[in-house]
Amino acid sequence: MSTTHVHLLLNHFPTVGFVMTIGLFAAAIVARSDQLKQASLVAFVGIALVAIPTYVTGNAAAERLCVAEPGEPCADPAVSRPLIERHEGAAVLSLAVMLTTAGFAWLGLWQQRRMRRVPAWNMAIIGVLSLLTMGLVARAANFGGEIRHPEVRAEQGPVSPEPTLARSIAQYVNDEAWTWIASETLHFIGLSLLVGIVLLIDLRALGVLRSVPFAALERLLPWAAIGFAVNIVTGMLFFVARPEFYTGNSAFYWKLIFVLLASANTLYFFFDEGWAASPGRDVRLFTKVVAASALVLWVGVMYWGSMLPFIGNSF
Amino acid sequence: MAFLEWLQQLPYSIWMNESSSLWAFPMFLFLHTLGMSIVAGGSAAIDFALLGLWPRDSLKSLKNIFPVLMVGFAVNAFTGVSIFMKDAATYGINLDLYIKLLFVLAGMVLLVVIRRRVFDNPEIDRVALPRNARVLAWASLACWTGAIIAGRLIAYVGPVPGL
Repeated sequence: MSTTHVHLLLNHFPTVGFVMTIGLFAAAIVARSDQLKQASLVAFVGIALVAIPTYVTGNAAAERLCVAEPGEPCADPAVSRPLIERHEGAAVLSLAVMLTTAGFAWLGLWQQRRMRRVPAWNMAIIGVLSLLTMGLVARAANFGGEIRHPEVRAEQGPVSPEPTLARSIAQYVNDEAWTWIASETLHFIGLSLLVGIVLLIDLRALGVLRSVPFAALERLLPWAAIGFAVNIVTGMLFFVARPEFYTGNSAFYWKLIFVLLASANTLYFFFDEGWAASPGRDVRLFTKVVAASALVLWVGVMYWGSMLPFIGNSF
Repeated sequence: MAFLEWLQQLPYSIWMNESSSLWAFPMFLFLHTLGMSIVAGGSAAIDFALLGLWPRDSLKSLKNIFPVLMVGFAVNAFTGVSIFMKDAATYGINLDLYIKLLFVLAGMVLLVVIRRRVFDNPEIDRVALPRNARVLAWASLACWTGAIIAGRLIAYVGPVPGL
């Protein structure tokens, strides 16, 4: 199985999966069901996270599909670089809007837990953003299909090369050295925020900080989410600027897998009943296992990130 | 400078510089990042608590985090000195490194001051916070942000090893 297979498999999540989630979200509003609402918010966040490896494996697939020097036609005359880059540009836009939707969905989960309800303004934002995402994803998917299916192309004949969003971002980051350095610095600040607060939560669950009330930790949680968001943005900026550093780098794929597992673990905490424990009380064993695995997973994310230049060729 | 040259020629420094093992320089760099996230991130959490993002009547419950931060600092002192030894002659004349060390020193001093003034007081959950607690928290956040920025820049400004 190659990264191309993975791309063709994963691309159903941001397309089909996202549409189904919008249906679930609408059903939750009609049925006034908190459980359905929470399920749809979790799905919005989860699908946006899966959209990251979908995007990343797309660049890996492109490198296999079009073997050519920059500016030259692809070795296989059936595909062309402008078609691939048009798909890439539409994909990066849809990914950005989808991740923004996921950010508000995460906030909704946090509000549901802390205030027992998601305010109407946030429900409206999630609704509008998810519809916008759906349109942008459909556009990206359509351009993706046209790479290999000339029969569905709207306009026949060769597509002229145009500067796309993804390549324009890459050009800017590569021309302006400070953007890379500033993003690296922000990436370190973001990881400190995330790890510092996750550490506090996990040490509470593991009993080192047993007298800490869980309600206090919930108040800090958005700062960990901000750190995570900063790192998604800066991390994707590195990838979009220099995909060739990462698509052949095994440490990068391990890092992605660990990010997904660690995020799933962190999302689980929204539903853990152990958090009802009052200050000074031990939590149940299962919660401790989840907390310990969260620490292992986030440290693993950092490990693979540190190894990017040493196992692969990136920095 | 003779001292820096001597430091760089020690067998340990040469191993750190020349070994291609993932357990040499790459592992030290990773541990340095891990230690940073514990010290800087943990300090930030304490600062947020002092700035009001924490129930006022349970500040004391955070006290046990301090030994964990000290372990993070010990890891970074050890890995930091080791990485310094690898290219002592170059790092030793990099002004930015000394700026970073000043931020780290100030951050650690603030951490100890915050523990003494706030968390060592057994009555802290019932009495008013010291008046300068908020100033200390903001200063601590500024120091760790400065340390991370200056630390990241060591790879780009001043004499940089390998460039």
